[in-house]
Amino acid sequence: MTRVRVTAPRTILPGSGALPAARSAADSRDAAEESDAGQVFVRSLIRSQLRLAVVVAAGFLLILVAFPLMLGLVPGLAESTIAGLPFDWVLLGAGIYPVIGLSAWLYIRTAARNEARYRDLVGDK
Amino acid sequence: MNPVVGVAAFAAVSLATAVIGFYGLRISRTTGDFYVASRTVRPWWNASAIGGEYLSAASFLGVAGLILLSGTGALWFPVGYTAGYLMLLLFVAAPLRRSGAYTIPDFTEARLDSRVVRRVTSVVVVMVGWLYIVPQLHGAALAIRITTGLPAWVGMVAVVAVVCVTVVAGGMRSITFVQAFQYWLKLTALAVPILFIVFVLADSGTPPVAEASVNPTGAAPAGMYQNISLLVALLFGTLGLPHVLVRFYTNPDGQSARRTTLIVLGLLSVFYLFPTAYGLVGRMFAPQLAQSGQSDALVLLLPGELVGGMAGDLLSALVVAGAFAAFLSTTSGLVVSLAGVISQDLFGGSVKGFRRAAVISALVPLGLASMTGSLALAGSVGMVFAFTASTLCPVLLLGIWWRGLTDTGAIAGMATGAVLCGGAMVLGAMLGAGGTPSWLAQPAAWTVPAAFAVMVLVSRATRTRVPRGITRLMTRLHTPERPLVTER
Repeated sequence: MTRVRVTAPRTILPGSGALPAARSAADSRDAAEESDAGQVFVRSLIRSQLRLAVVVAAGFLLILVAFPLMLGLVPGLAESTIAGLPFDWVLLGAGIYPVIGLSAWLYIRTAARNEARYRDLVGDK
Repeated sequence: MNPVVGVAAFAAVSLATAVIGFYGLRISRTTGDFYVASRTVRPWWNASAIGGEYLSAASFLGVAGLILLSGTGALWFPVGYTAGYLMLLLFVAAPLRRSGAYTIPDFTEARLDSRVVRRVTSVVVVMVGWLYIVPQLHGAALAIRITTGLPAWVGMVAVVAVVCVTVVAGGMRSITFVQAFQYWLKLTALAVPILFIVFVLADSGTPPVAEASVNPTGAAPAGMYQNISLLVALLFGTLGLPHVLVRFYTNPDGQSARRTTLIVLGLLSVFYLFPTAYGLVGRMFAPQLAQSGQSDALVLLLPGELVGGMAGDLLSALVVAGAFAAFLSTTSGLVVSLAGVISQDLFGGSVKGFRRAAVISALVPLGLASMTGSLALAGSVGMVFAFTASTLCPVLLLGIWWRGLTDTGAIAGMATGAVLCGGAMVLGAMLGAGGTPSWLAQPAAWTVPAAFAVMVLVSRATRTRVPRGITRLMTRLHTPERPLVTER
């Protein structure tokens, strides 16, 4: 855990003399992102998005590896049938796709939430 | 098969493609329209177009053929083709859209602030595109030969001609409509015949000829190493494919790029159930197709083999139409993205230059394809994925997520990946399918880590070359787009 100095974001550029209320939201966000405090928020957003992507990818790969392992380790499972179709075909040929879709859906929801939190921090409305 | 069926199906698909292409022409006028459809394409249209473009000869013909040959081992191909999009979503989709670049070379130039990196990336992108078009043309040659009995080159020339006409006339906007139409055509063309076949088989009570687990050719199943290496290539190769990436620029913002990818994943998941079904039915009821070396034509021949008569001819026509949609859509998608790269680097990015570049990007692979023999379609496309995974994937992943990447590191890494993977491909081709050891036949498991390692180590050694504007650039890639500001 690194220690950071928390200061109020300086949204007024030096020499500009304009009041924050008179500036557009875009200008204030530019300034906020380029200040040291703003970069702390940006870096923490990037870190949380990367962590999220790696966790989802690792989880998916674990399940992907678990499927053939399960077929190999549980005796008789690969030879059993579902509605007349061999079980290993159903598992590998159809069963993996819902896992992919679910991983993607979870990722999109969480990534959007990370971005919403960032928006709140830098003051976009 | 009745030759009229094949010719009629190809003519119908080409005509539909041309009509939709010309309809799109009326609304594409500016350079922006030509390159990225002015970024106004709705997510469903865009997702269908991505699906249409991505599902190539390898997916439409090759996957079923490989499943017929090697059974459950080949199921990793469709899984990998789909899961590659998950990786694309997780690591690339939104930041790449937010970078605002048109092509991959645009992105690397902006990220690394270097014209040399741009040139190197352009060369790699063009190589990938040409390598990827070649198996599409082999697929077209196979389909024409099987369905009409005409010489194989007719299929290749026909596909290149139709692609040139549509791309030169309409650019990206019209291509988007064409691709979206072709996804649904491909899905219908696979789904209707196989459902019909299953009903006929269930009705007549035909017993399966061979057990599904029986291997019709007696070839050795792929080992653990080969499966892992294949998955590495497919998972990391997708996110470097130039024709896939250019599609993400047509989304209005980062979050909609993510939503589009989610829809694409759904479309691909539904699609791949059908080649899998063809492979399974083929193993159970028509294993003789594998023994006669026609496995890649399984999808085309199965309706005629198992249904026959007038109904069989109609279903065959549908499948042939779908196959040509696959060759046309992937080839035109690749030609559009290659033409974008070539015209920006050689012809100054004008509309006229784009047209000239499109013709060049279609003619070179035609030459390559007519000089080389056809391998198993899914396998040769798998090699292209290994190549992108070892070259473009490291530069994209590190460029998006690591501030320390430098231009020297990127060039060294791409060169390493290209030499190792390209070398493995050439050696493998020289040794032939029988004599190639598995580490050469599936090189991704070692070439991808090697490219990443070289890129990181060389960047570390040249850390003074990290571009100065990196803070602003990383902020732009990873922060959400600002809401439109209306009040002052």
